[in-house]
Amino acid sequence: MQWKRITAVAATVMLAAVACGSPSSNSGSKGDSNTLGGAQVKATDPTAKGPAPDVDGAKKGGTITVLSDVTPDTFDPTNIYYVDGNQIGKLFYRSLTQYRLDGADHKPVLVPDLAEDLGTKSADGLTWTFKLKQGIKYQDGTPVKAEDYAYAIKRSFAHELYDAGPTYQQQFFLDGDKYKGPYVKGGDNYKGVETPDDHTLVIHLAKKFDDLPYYAAFPLFTPIPKAKDTQKNYEQHPMATGPYQVSSYQPGTELKLTKNPSWDPNTDPVRHQYVDGFDFKFSQDLIKAQRQVLASSGPDANALNYSNLDVSLLPEVKDQSQMIKGASPCTIMYTMDTRKIPLDVRKLIAKAHPYDGWRKVAGLNPTDDPPASTILPPAVPGFDKYELPGLTGTGKGAEDDAVAAEVKSELAKIGKSNFELSWYYSIDDKISTQTTQFRKQMFEKAGFKVRAIGVPKAKIRTFTGDQNAPVNIGKSPTGWCSDWPSGTSWFPVLFKSDAIGLGNSVGQLEDKALDAEIDAVTAKAPDEQLKEWTKVDKDIMEKYLPVLPLYYSQSNFPVGKNIGHAINDPTQGLPEFTSLYLKQP
Amino acid sequence: MSIGSPDSTVGVEEHPASAEPVRGAATPHGKSPSRIAFDRLRKDRVAVTCASIVLFFILLAVLAPLLTKLEGQDYSTFHTDLVDEFGYPTIGVNGSHWLGVEPKTGRDNFARWVYGARPSLIIAFLATVVGTIIGVVMGLLAGFLGGWTDRVISWLIDFVLSLPFLLFAIALVPIVESMRGGSFNLTPNEQASIRFYVLIFVLSFFGWAGLARIIRGEVLSLREREFVLAAKAIGVPTRQVLFKELLPNLVAPIVISASLAVPAYVTAEAGLSFLGVGLVEPIPSWGQTIAVATNWFKADPLYLWLPVVGITALVLALALLGDAIRDAFDPKTRR
Repeated sequence: MQWKRITAVAATVMLAAVACGSPSSNSGSKGDSNTLGGAQVKATDPTAKGPAPDVDGAKKGGTITVLSDVTPDTFDPTNIYYVDGNQIGKLFYRSLTQYRLDGADHKPVLVPDLAEDLGTKSADGLTWTFKLKQGIKYQDGTPVKAEDYAYAIKRSFAHELYDAGPTYQQQFFLDGDKYKGPYVKGGDNYKGVETPDDHTLVIHLAKKFDDLPYYAAFPLFTPIPKAKDTQKNYEQHPMATGPYQVSSYQPGTELKLTKNPSWDPNTDPVRHQYVDGFDFKFSQDLIKAQRQVLASSGPDANALNYSNLDVSLLPEVKDQSQMIKGASPCTIMYTMDTRKIPLDVRKLIAKAHPYDGWRKVAGLNPTDDPPASTILPPAVPGFDKYELPGLTGTGKGAEDDAVAAEVKSELAKIGKSNFELSWYYSIDDKISTQTTQFRKQMFEKAGFKVRAIGVPKAKIRTFTGDQNAPVNIGKSPTGWCSDWPSGTSWFPVLFKSDAIGLGNSVGQLEDKALDAEIDAVTAKAPDEQLKEWTKVDKDIMEKYLPVLPLYYSQSNFPVGKNIGHAINDPTQGLPEFTSLYLKQP
Repeated sequence: MSIGSPDSTVGVEEHPASAEPVRGAATPHGKSPSRIAFDRLRKDRVAVTCASIVLFFILLAVLAPLLTKLEGQDYSTFHTDLVDEFGYPTIGVNGSHWLGVEPKTGRDNFARWVYGARPSLIIAFLATVVGTIIGVVMGLLAGFLGGWTDRVISWLIDFVLSLPFLLFAIALVPIVESMRGGSFNLTPNEQASIRFYVLIFVLSFFGWAGLARIIRGEVLSLREREFVLAAKAIGVPTRQVLFKELLPNLVAPIVISASLAVPAYVTAEAGLSFLGVGLVEPIPSWGQTIAVATNWFKADPLYLWLPVVGITALVLALALLGDAIRDAFDPKTRR
């Protein structure tokens, strides 16, 4: 899943400081890897039933305001892929499955949501059958039908129209590479999904995909009645199955949610309906919004912000209980186009990169924000921390004169003196321009030539998202979050050759051997994969080095004083919205 | 206007109030009005103080490279070893960093402060000079020639005055960048300097119209005066009438308008940079620093106070000086 702040990350890396890490230690000593990780475990509970257990002391009523500096690109269930769109969508879209956060450490457990179970796999693993719950209604009272699920899945193949959405169905479902969605001629006939009766959904696969129940938690699997599908305008009036419904949506500005009267708590093992509504205000000023939330005066006590606290606001945190902290399944990276930068040079870039100084200039908070040495973040099961020399996410790099001189002489030795490094940055963003200046000074000191191209902040995503852009550093995705707790939502998506075509490639690797290695692991049973992915991780870093892991993003959000049960959802690295309540509504 | 032509005392006699206290006591006959005004200015303690403050900032800007050399720093080098892991400076004011260092980046505060005076002053003065020259020429032509010229120029003045200044300033940057070959072919330094010149252009483009309108009004009343009619009657060429006969009589409004424009432009530059449409890194400027430093006002007050004091002192001094100049040139407004 793309990181919510991808726009900013691409060049800026981060507007804000970062999160507090370690759930177990509040002081969070630097680089203490033992306190990291283990937040996401592949746990399932196929028999979970609604209603969700009540939160202690929860009250009903009131409206929660969410002041957000980032703007989700879409709320169309098929097109949502950024973590924040997904998390907000959970309030009004129900999927086949969902995560329940268990226990004091909020361990995510996959439970059936609109399905009766977590799906049954055929013997060959190519056919999945989901039993559907009965009596589910949309907000207008019309019943949800089995073909609505099938239609939603068909809709997700119209990737030209919903180009931001996830693409696993095209890689794994039957005829996924050929079928182009329900809008083209003959689009109604798709053999990949079947609804033999009113409470069964059958999905046919082209190749084994044991993580399908996890994928089924995406809003892409929410039922969509064909008659109500207005394509690109669907997000204006989507059919809600969750506890809330969209009352008004102005793209980029505001999303208002009110209670969904047709939602039946007895069918939902995860969600609550404590507050009367949510008011999401987007495109706010980060510092201003966070300061407001921290001060919690008047209506701001009912507000929260889901970006990590800016480091300059640290002295203003008077009450630690106002901060939501916890793990998030994301790694932020410095990507290098392997087609344009030879491996020898990539190794020298890694040596010259001034991690420590860069972290300060970018405003990262060290105690909250652990430096990364691996591609997989600690929250992914099977994570095994390893540190290759010089790739620990720390170090002075070319800030150290000796290192700079060494890199310079080695560059000369391999005949690459003045090798040009180029990247995009947003010219109207202070942090982006400063980190760019800093890196430029350091890389030039180490004998590279630097061409930094300033583009407006509003457009930078278009530039960095182009896999064939005429730069060799910093193409997105520069931050990645697990789609579900497994390496399968990382390596096949990011490092295989076909990732370039799907627009998700990290390092633009086109290596047959690596493709084969990744495919071999994907074919294994989920439990066997765990350790294998770490091996792949290390292999990529040792042999290919397409990326410098920078840090593992973790959560550290400010919430207003009146908001109760504000907890971090480790599957998204965002607040868990569906169980929030107001202490004094 | 109460000032006669420089080589005549007629005007002064016609308006005895204009020179009454000065001429009565200290000023002998034969001093030019500008000279009289300057003498008044010198006796004005506020004016002298303000002038020295402005002079101080000008010297600061001119001598910036020398001063930073003396300190042993420069404005662009990052010293990330001087800030802690949270980005807070670990050092205060000391011998090698006279005013400490910036949070996060560790760049030298003093160097950024003295260099920050440069764009403010250069932009303000250049924009004033260019705006004044255009405004005076347009005003003279419109007022003196009349007829079609007047109508066209007056229409132009109204047109410029009706354009939205802020939108224009924001929109012009990408246009000029694309004319220079698009952002792909420009280094950060080139992009920053483009913004610099665009700012000067935008400020002078919007600055000339107001002055031109004032000058036109003045000229309209002056051109029927005897000395102008006489010059015309004996066949003095138009250019000479404009610049030899009329212009010296317009010194007062020009000086006043210019001296009030400078502080306005300093504020405008800082404001635009604060909003992110003015100067950008790597050019250091006070407006930008204020924009960043507002987030740090609790943790590192000095970082915010430096540019704020700089801008406030400079603008206040310039504005009071402008007032004093107006008073000196136009004694009727004296309290």
